[in-house]
Amino acid sequence: MKIKYIISFSVVLISLVFLYGCGEDQETGDKPAGVKKIVITMIAKSSANPVFLTAKNGAISEAKRISEKYKKIDVTIDWNTPETEDALEQVRRIRNAIKDKTDAIIVSCSDQDSLTSAINEAVDAGIPVMTFDSDSPQSKRFAFYGPDDIAMGESVMKRLAELIDGRGKIAVLGGNINAPNLRERVSGIQKAAAEYPEIELVGVYYHAENETESIREMLRVQELYPDLKGWAMVGGWPTFGRELMNKVEPGRIKIVAVDALPVQLEYVEKNIVQVLFGQPTFKWGTVSVETVIDKIYRDKKVNPINRLNTIPVTIDNLGGWSRQLKAWGYQDIPEKYYGM
Amino acid sequence: MNPKDTHQTAPADKISGGQKFAYGLGAIVNNLLGGVIGYMSIVLNVGLGINPALVGTLQAIPRFTDALTDPIMGYISDKTRSKYGRRRPYIFFGAIFVGLVFALMWQLPEGYSEMFYFWFFLIGSLIFYLFYTMFATPWVALGYELTSDYHERTRLMGVMNFMGQFAWISLPWFYAIMENDRFFSNSVQGARTLAIIIGVFVAVVGIMPAIFSKERFVAPESESKHKTKLLDGLKSNIALFFKGLLITIKRVEFLKLCAGTFFLFNGIMLVGAFSSYITIFYVFGGDTDQGAKYMGLFGTITTFSTMAAIVGVTWISSRIGKRKTFIIATSMTLIGSILKWFCYDPLVPWKVLLPAPLIAVGMGALFTLMGSMVADVCDLDELETGERREGMFGSIYWWMVKLGMALAFGLSGFLLNATGFVVDFGGAQSSSTFFWMILIDAGIPAIASLIAIYAVATYKITEERSYEIRSELEKRRIKTVSVDPLIQNS
Repeated sequence: MKIKYIISFSVVLISLVFLYGCGEDQETGDKPAGVKKIVITMIAKSSANPVFLTAKNGAISEAKRISEKYKKIDVTIDWNTPETEDALEQVRRIRNAIKDKTDAIIVSCSDQDSLTSAINEAVDAGIPVMTFDSDSPQSKRFAFYGPDDIAMGESVMKRLAELIDGRGKIAVLGGNINAPNLRERVSGIQKAAAEYPEIELVGVYYHAENETESIREMLRVQELYPDLKGWAMVGGWPTFGRELMNKVEPGRIKIVAVDALPVQLEYVEKNIVQVLFGQPTFKWGTVSVETVIDKIYRDKKVNPINRLNTIPVTIDNLGGWSRQLKAWGYQDIPEKYYGM
Repeated sequence: MNPKDTHQTAPADKISGGQKFAYGLGAIVNNLLGGVIGYMSIVLNVGLGINPALVGTLQAIPRFTDALTDPIMGYISDKTRSKYGRRRPYIFFGAIFVGLVFALMWQLPEGYSEMFYFWFFLIGSLIFYLFYTMFATPWVALGYELTSDYHERTRLMGVMNFMGQFAWISLPWFYAIMENDRFFSNSVQGARTLAIIIGVFVAVVGIMPAIFSKERFVAPESESKHKTKLLDGLKSNIALFFKGLLITIKRVEFLKLCAGTFFLFNGIMLVGAFSSYITIFYVFGGDTDQGAKYMGLFGTITTFSTMAAIVGVTWISSRIGKRKTFIIATSMTLIGSILKWFCYDPLVPWKVLLPAPLIAVGMGALFTLMGSMVADVCDLDELETGERREGMFGSIYWWMVKLGMALAFGLSGFLLNATGFVVDFGGAQSSSTFFWMILIDAGIPAIASLIAIYAVATYKITEERSYEIRSELEKRRIKTVSVDPLIQNS
């Protein structure tokens, strides 16, 4: 009888050890010899911009996750982003990556036209290229991940219409008139505004993309239209510092703006801005790296256009958004928001 | 009751360590089979592209067929008269067949339509669950009858529940194994191979209880030779089946145990996903890496706490009785659930771990004590009806658990939606969404624990009553041994 028990116990033990053994490497992340190293060169617009630093965090995090998941590859991110926005520098860096025989490139284009030929050179050299945040649609890039700017504009307008009960004068703050993505957002606003017969869109106002110029334009328009009830902003420039804080009466004019960076959060807390549309910039990195691996390693069919959904930030989810920003690697978020 | 007054198990009622171990092996197989499809079905979606709703349907349909097959199998097993016993032949062949079917049903060819996979897997699942029932129902019933001793039953169930935990530890690894690109080219191929390994494991380990366990009630030789006309036999059996089913579901003490289990187990299952969501999206602001680490830690603490609780509960129960032990253990789950309300704190994340050991106590106690208590009900039932129907009780009890689990999984998605949770928002959910998520996560298991305590608090089979019942049964068996279809094999 004892022999029977010993045999049965051994069978169970061996089976369990086998089952656990299959999963063990998954846990430890060991990389035996023969593992293919995959280098993804990441070229964002500017390494001084925290938005892109969070995208870098996302890319590194995803590379780590994929390397742990798939045993035959070891994915690393080659962060190769210029200090400041410079399309020509991006072109130079793409060409260097081609020389270095990188395995793939992910890029946010500072200027879509300038980068088209460099992207095509990379693809012709057998290096797949994906764009994120800012596309180069005429190039041979295999995929793009970013927002649908027209839909974003529509969302901004709909939220503003709700805030002003569907009636009154509104204006659009449009940023750089030459930026294609901003113009698409403006067109989205105009399209959505047409659905509200009692809302009068008094104009679209363009300006240099900085805090001072945007606030100056804003105040000028408010003087022209003292009965203005709302602002639809396709970028958050006036709220990129504290200058606006004492220049507008909280809640009198409703403001809905794109971007929801740490510096802007106080405007929501003080009811100067009612809704911010935040972009999950961390996902620029995670989704881009995942898509590249799907294409070059998993041989999966990849959608050429992958849409990023923006997140409306109000006083109701200010705490959640603050914690989310912190998780993505943003600094300088007031701690008081974490407990909200 | 003074611990010194508790009954001491007679040597004849003791189950050897080897037999307990052999029976416990059945728990590993039973839990593995119960959870494996849920853990592997992700391949149907990510590997073969089947719509998640269809995958959900594939998992839900067998719950309804179980409602019919489980009690029928319980009835068949109860009525079986063979020289190998009422349970062991089914356990033996059930384990082999279910292992074989499991291995085959995952050999899904690639390149076919979604509906092809749906029907292929549905038919495979129905056959799988049929053989799973053939194995599990007699195995559960066997546990109820391996000993007639009030405390030894709890010890047996303690060993069974403890060993069964190893299946729950293994299951979360299966997806990682299937996705391991060093072994498999894709998850579908991984599923095929893993299914064969599991199938062999189930067939080999699952037959152990049949080989090593000793049935306590066996048919006398003359009974197995009794012949009736096929049609008459069928009619009579159908009538007896429904009569037995009715008696079983009318047994008040049994219903109290069912209610206690249903609320406690499903109350916790219902919000199982909520803890992960709140930890990842509220406490860690959408940082899935950190959130997953803490959830892993939470799971490890829960597993070890459950195992410790099983040992503790088995010991305490022999001192103060099953009902009081259940109430104390469930009260700890109640406290742990309430504690959750205070422990989700983004500024002090480690606090999420505090409720885990407390909640685990109730879960550890549940299937240790309930199995033992259902066995006590089977004795009471025999006293009142003259029949031993462990199969019927076991099948209805476990069907209720399985149905509850399926309902809990289905309902949890609706509850999450009702809180206003939007997956695209990640950590940026609204304050009210987080409020409702935490309230549900803490409140539902707390209320469910209270109901379970209330249900079991009025359960009347105490230790004294149990021994009275046993004494009366033994007297009756001595008197009626010549006409009783079952005699005690001791």
